[in-house]
Amino acid sequence: MSSSLMRVNNLKKSFGGVKAVDIDNLIFNKNELTSIIGPNGAGKTTLFDLISGFQEEDSGEIFYQEKNITKSQPHKIARLGMVRTFQLTKVFDRMTVLENLMFAGSNISNDSLFQSIIQFPKQKNYENSLEEEALRVMKDLNIEQMSNAYARELSGGQKKLLELGRSIIRKPDVLLLDEPLAGVNPKLTEEILEIIEKLSNDGITILMVEHNIEAVMKISERVIVLAEGSLIADGLPQEVRENKKVIEAYLGGGDE
Amino acid sequence: MLDQLGNGLLLGIIISVASVALSLLYGVTRIVNFAHGEVIALGAIVTLFFSAPVDSKVLFLDRFSPLGVSFSTSVIIAILFCGLFGALLELFLFRPLRKAEVGNIAVLVVTIGLSIFIRHFYLLFATGKVQDFPLGLERRQTYLFFDMTPRNFKVLIAGLVVMIIIGLFLTFTRMGKAMRAVRDSSELASVSGINSDNIILFTWISSSMLAGLAGIFQAIINDVRYNMGFLILLLIFAGTVLGGIGTSFGAMVGGLLIGIFVQVSVALPFMEGHTEAKNAVALAIMILILLFRPQGIFGEKERIS
Amino acid sequence: MKLSVKWIVTVVLTSFSIYMVFALNPEGQLRILFNVLTFAGIYGLAAIGLNVHFGLTGLLNFGHASFMGVGAYVTLLLIPHAAGREGQITETGLPFLLALVIGILSASLFGLLLGLPAIRLRGDYLAIVTIAAAEIFRLLVRDLESVTGGVYGIINFSDSLQKYRPNFIETFVSKYDLNAGQIWVGFLSWVSIFFVLLLLKRLNSSPWGRALRAVREDEDAVRALGKNAVWLKLQSFMLGAGIAGLAGVFLAFNYGSLQTTLFVPLLTFYVWAIMILGGVGSLSGPVFGSVIFWVIISETDRLAALIFENANGQQLAGVRFVLVGLLIMILMIFRPSGLLGKKEELLLNVK
Repeated sequence: MSSSLMRVNNLKKSFGGVKAVDIDNLIFNKNELTSIIGPNGAGKTTLFDLISGFQEEDSGEIFYQEKNITKSQPHKIARLGMVRTFQLTKVFDRMTVLENLMFAGSNISNDSLFQSIIQFPKQKNYENSLEEEALRVMKDLNIEQMSNAYARELSGGQKKLLELGRSIIRKPDVLLLDEPLAGVNPKLTEEILEIIEKLSNDGITILMVEHNIEAVMKISERVIVLAEGSLIADGLPQEVRENKKVIEAYLGGGDE
Repeated sequence: MLDQLGNGLLLGIIISVASVALSLLYGVTRIVNFAHGEVIALGAIVTLFFSAPVDSKVLFLDRFSPLGVSFSTSVIIAILFCGLFGALLELFLFRPLRKAEVGNIAVLVVTIGLSIFIRHFYLLFATGKVQDFPLGLERRQTYLFFDMTPRNFKVLIAGLVVMIIIGLFLTFTRMGKAMRAVRDSSELASVSGINSDNIILFTWISSSMLAGLAGIFQAIINDVRYNMGFLILLLIFAGTVLGGIGTSFGAMVGGLLIGIFVQVSVALPFMEGHTEAKNAVALAIMILILLFRPQGIFGEKERIS
Repeated sequence: MKLSVKWIVTVVLTSFSIYMVFALNPEGQLRILFNVLTFAGIYGLAAIGLNVHFGLTGLLNFGHASFMGVGAYVTLLLIPHAAGREGQITETGLPFLLALVIGILSASLFGLLLGLPAIRLRGDYLAIVTIAAAEIFRLLVRDLESVTGGVYGIINFSDSLQKYRPNFIETFVSKYDLNAGQIWVGFLSWVSIFFVLLLLKRLNSSPWGRALRAVREDEDAVRALGKNAVWLKLQSFMLGAGIAGLAGVFLAFNYGSLQTTLFVPLLTFYVWAIMILGGVGSLSGPVFGSVIFWVIISETDRLAALIFENANGQQLAGVRFVLVGLLIMILMIFRPSGLLGKKEELLLNVK
């Protein structure tokens, strides 16, 4: 499989005896926009945490571009080009929007204590280019008017945008989006969906956990359904929508 | 070696009782109490104030002579006094802080300030000198394998009895169960109709009484000093950490082990000529435990990073 | 800089406390003032280092005394000195400046060694580990008499620094009957404060400072963006430890002899009191805090005299520390941001 980007083997994780994730085999393909859905507690966020290194699996392996990243630390995984966002938005509250983006975009040597003590002229240049880059991202996300506002002053939806922007400025190969539409008003939802589609078209592989089924069905190329930690369906949006098991496990609950 | 084991048991019982007290308080209130050592010293100082002979040279507040009360009565008064002191701390300092939702780091720093304040208050008004309880000298005797004075042996037995009582209390009484409930989750406890304010007040009182008792033990075995509690505070932390933070049973065993370890290490070959550094070894153990097995010997895994 | 109420209050209070030195002392005012200012400079420097840990990074360090101690011991042992019971003399040594640099680096390295495993610990646990590590340091230094002089300490090292004492200090001193050695140490500590503050100001607005603030805000987000949050915190730990090391060296030279008893936990608590008074997270706050703190400390002797007839040394120390304890408690309860700190930037809850 030439287009395989990441695969998960026999991945298991439980909390106090309760099974959170139990997946035999799962392959994510390059350039695909994949959504992961499932009822609350299905293990979607835990799967993200395991992939991005924020939690350690009980057993199993994860390969990214044929590299075993199972025990890697989050920042090392992120450096391989896989960047994630969080279900509960994690913006840097007491930093401005511009600072949020510039920090995200800045490379490791630019952040080093040594560079910052000496402050070579080239650091100044780098910072300038970083600022331009940040402005461009803000423009794309339509938040350039907020540039100097503190992140804590943003609305919930704007924070989601900022988090997305912070990921984009890192020029990722893979984006893990954990509920990018949660608590976002309908108008902004449309905007964010457009941005996600555009990123996908630009060649970024996207994995998305999302509860907004309409949105998922509209933009996804592939939909994966989890229930009680296990994979119960995997396929095109239309196939999944008609899958009996899915209707039973997911929609059967009645209230969603 | 056996001599050191006997000394270790004695130091261990002091630390053990004090560790249980600290651990109870931490379990229920989540306060890392740096002023714990000062409550320990209070037990010894109040006992001395009541029991020292009236004509002795000990002076409190520069003018008050001791009262010459009998020693056992003094001990009871001192323990009650420590309980009262704990209650006052909770009612006038820590409860208001809790109600004002002051952060736990701020509270920790407050206990450090409190510790410095009380300790030097003792230095000023109680006793800057090293004092002994008015108990007279005793000859050592052999108990099982250990040589110790009858008085110290009694302390050891008393300490063990106190441990058993605490254990029974926590396991079987309503109050003990309620304390464990609040420790596990204060929200859950309040849902099930437990008044956590009362539990916390009770915890402060009982923890302070135990600390006072530990101080009296320490003073019987060694002597009374204004900073006697602070000197063993880090060992008490070590005992608590070793046994597992927040578990009372763990603190008992952890405290005992630390005491034994500190004293026995003196007899180890590589420690020859380095007896002053014996505490360093215990502290190093504590650091290693915190780093590599933060739940201690008996504790359950808890998020500490 | 915006002229805010905070700043006006701070400057007025600082000036007032300096004025009090003149008002309360009938004679030897300048001597007392320069003594106070020297201590204020040295402890202020240490508090700036602590503020890098707690104020800028949120690390609960209660082992500051050990960083000061490492800096002092390493530096002094590298220059000509006499140590131990017999006062064994070591006549050869490195030039002062080189020894100082090695001393500061050693303090940083000690910070790294301690931080490497400990920095991941939650706040209150880090507090216990750092205070225990500092006690281990002190006990070991006391124990290793053959190297460190043990309880007998180190003496006869002042020349290495005092031989660089410039002439203008001599002329100044001779006019007012002051202690030239102390003035020189105090002068150097204030010069150091100036440069350290310049450096920190530069860092604060640099990419590193930005990264450090991000770590303080949300470590997980930092990690998700491919940044090593632990390493950033370690760098801050090393930086603050190095500054403390420098302060430790000045402290030793101010006393003219080095004793292990200097590095008891109370030293750390002094520095904490100064930092809280000056303002957690404010770069220059600790400097003002330190001056006010030391005026209070130096004038408490008067207070002690009011309470006790013929107060002895123990009672003087008692009154001082009762005040220090009260100061820490009252500030932490009623004004945790101190003189110049920003309340909204305080990290007072374990995350």
